[in-house]
Amino acid sequence: MARLIGGLDRLIAAILEVGQWLLLPVVALLFLQWPLREIVQHFSREANDLGQWLFALYVAMAFTAATRAHTHLAADAVARHYAERTREWLWRLGVLIGLVPWALFVAIAGAKLIIPSVLAREAFADTYNPGYFIIKLALWVLAGLILAQSIVDIFRPRGSH
Amino acid sequence: MASLAPWLGLALLLLVALGIIFTGLPAAIVLISVASIGAAIGVAIDAIPFTLLSALPGRLVNLFENDLLQALPLYVLMGLLLDRLPVAEALYKTCLAVLPRGPSAQLGSGMGLGALLGPMNGSVGASVLGLSRVVAPRLAAHGVAEPMRAALVAVASTLGVVIPPSLVLILLGDAMLNAHTIAVTSTGRTDRVINTQDVFHGALAPAGLFLVLSLVVAWLVGRRLPPTKEAPDDRPTRAQVVLAIISVVFLLVLLGGVAIGVFYAVEAAAMGAFVLFAGGLLSGRLRRTIMREVLGQAMATTGALFALLIAATTLTLTLRLLGTDKLVADWVTAVPGGDLAIVAVVLATIGLSAFVLDAFEIIFVVVPIMIPPLLIRVADARWVAVLVLLTLQTSFLLPPFGYALMMVRGTLRYAGSLAALVRALLPFLLAQWLVLATVLIFPQLAHVGEKEADRSRVAPPVSSDEINKRLNDMLTPLPDFEPPK
Repeated sequence: MARLIGGLDRLIAAILEVGQWLLLPVVALLFLQWPLREIVQHFSREANDLGQWLFALYVAMAFTAATRAHTHLAADAVARHYAERTREWLWRLGVLIGLVPWALFVAIAGAKLIIPSVLAREAFADTYNPGYFIIKLALWVLAGLILAQSIVDIFRPRGSH
Repeated sequence: MASLAPWLGLALLLLVALGIIFTGLPAAIVLISVASIGAAIGVAIDAIPFTLLSALPGRLVNLFENDLLQALPLYVLMGLLLDRLPVAEALYKTCLAVLPRGPSAQLGSGMGLGALLGPMNGSVGASVLGLSRVVAPRLAAHGVAEPMRAALVAVASTLGVVIPPSLVLILLGDAMLNAHTIAVTSTGRTDRVINTQDVFHGALAPAGLFLVLSLVVAWLVGRRLPPTKEAPDDRPTRAQVVLAIISVVFLLVLLGGVAIGVFYAVEAAAMGAFVLFAGGLLSGRLRRTIMREVLGQAMATTGALFALLIAATTLTLTLRLLGTDKLVADWVTAVPGGDLAIVAVVLATIGLSAFVLDAFEIIFVVVPIMIPPLLIRVADARWVAVLVLLTLQTSFLLPPFGYALMMVRGTLRYAGSLAALVRALLPFLLAQWLVLATVLIFPQLAHVGEKEADRSRVAPPVSSDEINKRLNDMLTPLPDFEPPK
């Protein structure tokens, strides 16, 4: 079990390591929008659409990156006085009753939205540029990574948070 | 049982507050947990048809394709790059060189740096990090007491909230656009719907007023400190002066460009991030290991903000399905008195929620519930937006959970008492509340430089029954809801 959890943990880390670099093309594409629109007068919509699906994938992964880096906003003025074991128990409980059912629901309820879009390779409606289905697919990336991280957090040996 | 559903929503809001305070869990996880519990109870008591919950994935996809939200990682990246590059130090030292020597100059420069950095890095957290690193040690060297150092860094870090184009301003602009759209549609008014640009323009004069008042407070506080000798490293080098001038000019170009509509706020943020990134690469300060570190931090910080958005979207959907928003709308529309009274009540509610929620949570959870009914009664959306913005700025500074205060206490390893920090903060908070009260009494302050044609029209009288009916029609999602494309 520990090996399985360790492997899943490393897989999530590897996905996020690659995903963090997506920010650079997002910055470049959004930066290019203005000169493309005002000076070149072409390809500004293409840059926008490409930036949009890269952004969707990026933020879909970012939720789990925040969980792993402990950067989620929290007010611990009271909880900082709790024993470490209590805090760990609260975290597992929050993951179990909050994140797991939510991510499962999003993954299952989102299927009706995602599968037809992926099968049809849905394009952006106003520009006909390809790739709109990736924005919907990002929903599964979001839910999948949250679920995987939840499994790691719940089954991780005690004291290793 | 189903008739109690709107009240269940209010109980959920209370549960959110208690959960955030007493569990210490991330606000996003508390919001998602409470929303899930509320939805499950709603389905169990037949208050929510299960099929309506399938609107959630569509709403999340809407977040992924929101143009404005693309600014979020850009601002986060800018903040992190500013912290790695020597820009803040150059600006601070150049500011010091321009001001008359003395302790007041240190405090004034710290405040000025907050005003310059804030719009560039967009987030209060990033400003706290930058100012804690550059300003706080120098204030300590000049004999400024620990509580005043922490107070000054906290206040200066929130200047970016009101000076455009900040992240809070962009997100509030988007929330106001949605709220105003609901209000305009449900009343049948013909107002031009407010956008982020309107909020930028509206905030300029009040932000300027607050900056001037803060500088005056800093100067007065500085006068009471004993004079100290100039530290040798306070003199800027020529390169630092050049860098400071380039940074200020670049900032003014970005600000001006956004203000006059040459480029969008997201594009301005992308330009800032791109230029800083290129500067880091060219100067050799952004080597591969540091770049990896910066990108990792950018993703984790972006994720924290986006998680809040996702969680708040889930909670507001549950509240809407339970009919809590309509209950709140009934209360808001029933407040006696004119515009001033109802705006004061709503702002007081937002102010109260600021004791347990931070500005982002307020924008994502409270604004979508409280502001649409307010804008149904009050036509001046720009005025309301600026007032909400100023209230949000206060929320960053309100003890004990104000985000800027919490960050400062952590970053500076503040060892003093909270009471001492609050005493040091009080003159700045009073200045902030003075600006808030002035804008509340004189709505014209939110309309400085506005074209007559752009002014919101006066709300025609619409019966509360009619408003409720239209809100009902608008707020309940259809079973096969799918995001418009």
